[in-house]
Amino acid sequence: MPMMNNLPPGLILIVGALLVPFLPGRLKNWYVILLPALAFWQVSQLSDSAALTLQLADFQLTLLRVDILSKAFGYIFALSSFAAFLYGYYEKKSSQFVSALIYVGSSMMVVFAGDLITLYVFWELMAITSVNLVLGRKTKKAYRAAFRYVLVHIVGGLVLLAGIILTIGETGSTAFNAVDPSASSLSSWLILIGFLVNAAAVPFSSWLPDAYPESTVMGGVILSAYTSKTAVYTLIRGFPGWEILIVLGCAMTIYGIIYALLENDMRRILAYSIINQVGFMVCAVGIGTSLALSGAVAHAFCHIIYKALLWMSAGAVLYQTGKSKCTDLGGLYNTMPWTLIFGCVGALAISSVPLTSGYISKTIIIAESASAHMFWVWLVLEIASAGVFLHAGIKFPYFVFFAKDKGLRPKEAPKTMLVAMAFLAFFCIYLGMFPERLYNILPNGDLVKSAMPYTFYAIYVKHFSHVVTQLQLLLYSGLVFFLFLPLLKRTDTIALDIDWLYRKGGALVYLMLDKWLNGLNSWANRLFAENGMKSTSSFFRDGPARLLLIPIRPLWQLTGVEREYAKKMEERFINKFRSTFFSIGSGAVFCLGLSLILLLLSLL
Amino acid sequence: MKETKIDEGYFDQPKTRKMLWRVLWGTCGLSVVLEFFIHRESHFPIDNFFGFYAVLGFLACTGCILLAKGLGFFLKKKVDYYANDE
Repeated sequence: MPMMNNLPPGLILIVGALLVPFLPGRLKNWYVILLPALAFWQVSQLSDSAALTLQLADFQLTLLRVDILSKAFGYIFALSSFAAFLYGYYEKKSSQFVSALIYVGSSMMVVFAGDLITLYVFWELMAITSVNLVLGRKTKKAYRAAFRYVLVHIVGGLVLLAGIILTIGETGSTAFNAVDPSASSLSSWLILIGFLVNAAAVPFSSWLPDAYPESTVMGGVILSAYTSKTAVYTLIRGFPGWEILIVLGCAMTIYGIIYALLENDMRRILAYSIINQVGFMVCAVGIGTSLALSGAVAHAFCHIIYKALLWMSAGAVLYQTGKSKCTDLGGLYNTMPWTLIFGCVGALAISSVPLTSGYISKTIIIAESASAHMFWVWLVLEIASAGVFLHAGIKFPYFVFFAKDKGLRPKEAPKTMLVAMAFLAFFCIYLGMFPERLYNILPNGDLVKSAMPYTFYAIYVKHFSHVVTQLQLLLYSGLVFFLFLPLLKRTDTIALDIDWLYRKGGALVYLMLDKWLNGLNSWANRLFAENGMKSTSSFFRDGPARLLLIPIRPLWQLTGVEREYAKKMEERFINKFRSTFFSIGSGAVFCLGLSLILLLLSLL
Repeated sequence: MKETKIDEGYFDQPKTRKMLWRVLWGTCGLSVVLEFFIHRESHFPIDNFFGFYAVLGFLACTGCILLAKGLGFFLKKKVDYYANDE
């Protein structure tokens, strides 16, 4: 089937989404589970020669460009959305499914896009559709968070668009390929910033922990996977070896840990831990060697699985209890043991515990930082690995399922949720034990297999020394957690993040502008409208009288008129002027005075 | 979902907690003892010394917790901090 060979897998989800509202009841749920399975199959059918182009005015759009890199992301996007829709079997609203399908489909279109225009169109479509997964929660907080989410992505999208337009202007080409770090220009920097906003790189990171935790239960699982990982893909494709990414990646890993430790909301802890994990990938892209880039892809692949599993576990707790704060939760192991077990598998995988997927992906990145003799980078990544265990590996399960028993006794999560969690938990363990399948679909898979052990025996027996050092790192991190538990006691608080700048700071700017501009306005009003008019009219009304009073006052003083009486005479004089009513005597005196002044002037 | 006090669960019993503490200390100790029996490669001079990863894990996490605690004094606010501004 030649047509099918050139069908972008993302289109299956996007076009398929349009049918969702017309399907009744459970058929709708089964249909949305089937679509990602079809997309997965389509990814597997794509050959490297497959391409789909479209002529739009002067530009040739490449809707499908297939290589190992795009296929690796295509596989994992399809796989994780399959699990997410299985998990979302409880959901009945078509709008949630339609937006989720178009969102996931768009992210797949981005990873298979061969040009910047196609990439941009679907990049924006992702932002538009994903916001509905936050809005669907229908709380005031969700509406506000969604509004900020949209604003940040509009700004990020415009920066990206500016970069794309400049690039097309400079080169005349819309092709999306790697930019050499030595050939950086304003256009490439703008594109990079646009990508970094979606990667939630510091300092463009706060939209993620602001919006994701306010999303719907299924929405959180879906959101956790695509926006930031699509951005990781674009960085791998467009900016390998850009050293600034090493710095940003390292900053993200530590930032994620510190904020996750400060947080009280379980899904916000997981949101910060996304930033921490994406930091490892961004750092690997910055290192830029073939092996590091393969490590970034492998880590993105494993991360999507275990992070979705963690969000599923947290989502199940939220679904069953309606609570998401650690201060409200605790002791759930009593009635939600399966959710706990699957959540723990995710927690162990994210912590890179041996026998789980994180162990075989993160190791590639850390080993490559050591091979490149980047001591500080290696040290930060090792410290961050310890910190991951602290916040996501122990803190999340401990405060939600153990800690102080709050007496909550919810039922276990619905079966379909448990099946979806079991499905992902299986991959977390399977990939940790037998990573060869994953290494085979990575770019430079052979290189990875020559540098890293990939059979169970090689990883866990031959390289047992690494298992021991990894266990040391993690066990002592765990020990610190429990020794310092009093310091980690949860408080019902929030932690200020960079979004303070546009939440409080924005209000502050508004207040300052309000005070300054309105102050200026009222000052001008006072000066011109109120006092100005008054003084002008009083000048023309009383001016002549006051002028005349200047020579008259000394006369009164000389004639011995008392001060009090002189004041009254002044008032009377001015009033007379106002009413233009003068006695003949005054008129005569006035004329005489005026004549005298004129005479004096003519003599001078 | 009922918010009633039910019997103490297995993990809330003092006996279990005591046992878990022993397991934790035991595995921590074991992981270091195992280092006697392995030959490991080092990438930098610093990670060559005995028990390096145990010390790193301990210090890194202590540092993270203290840093978070310190920053918490400035960054932690009441939940309604933004409520009046939006």
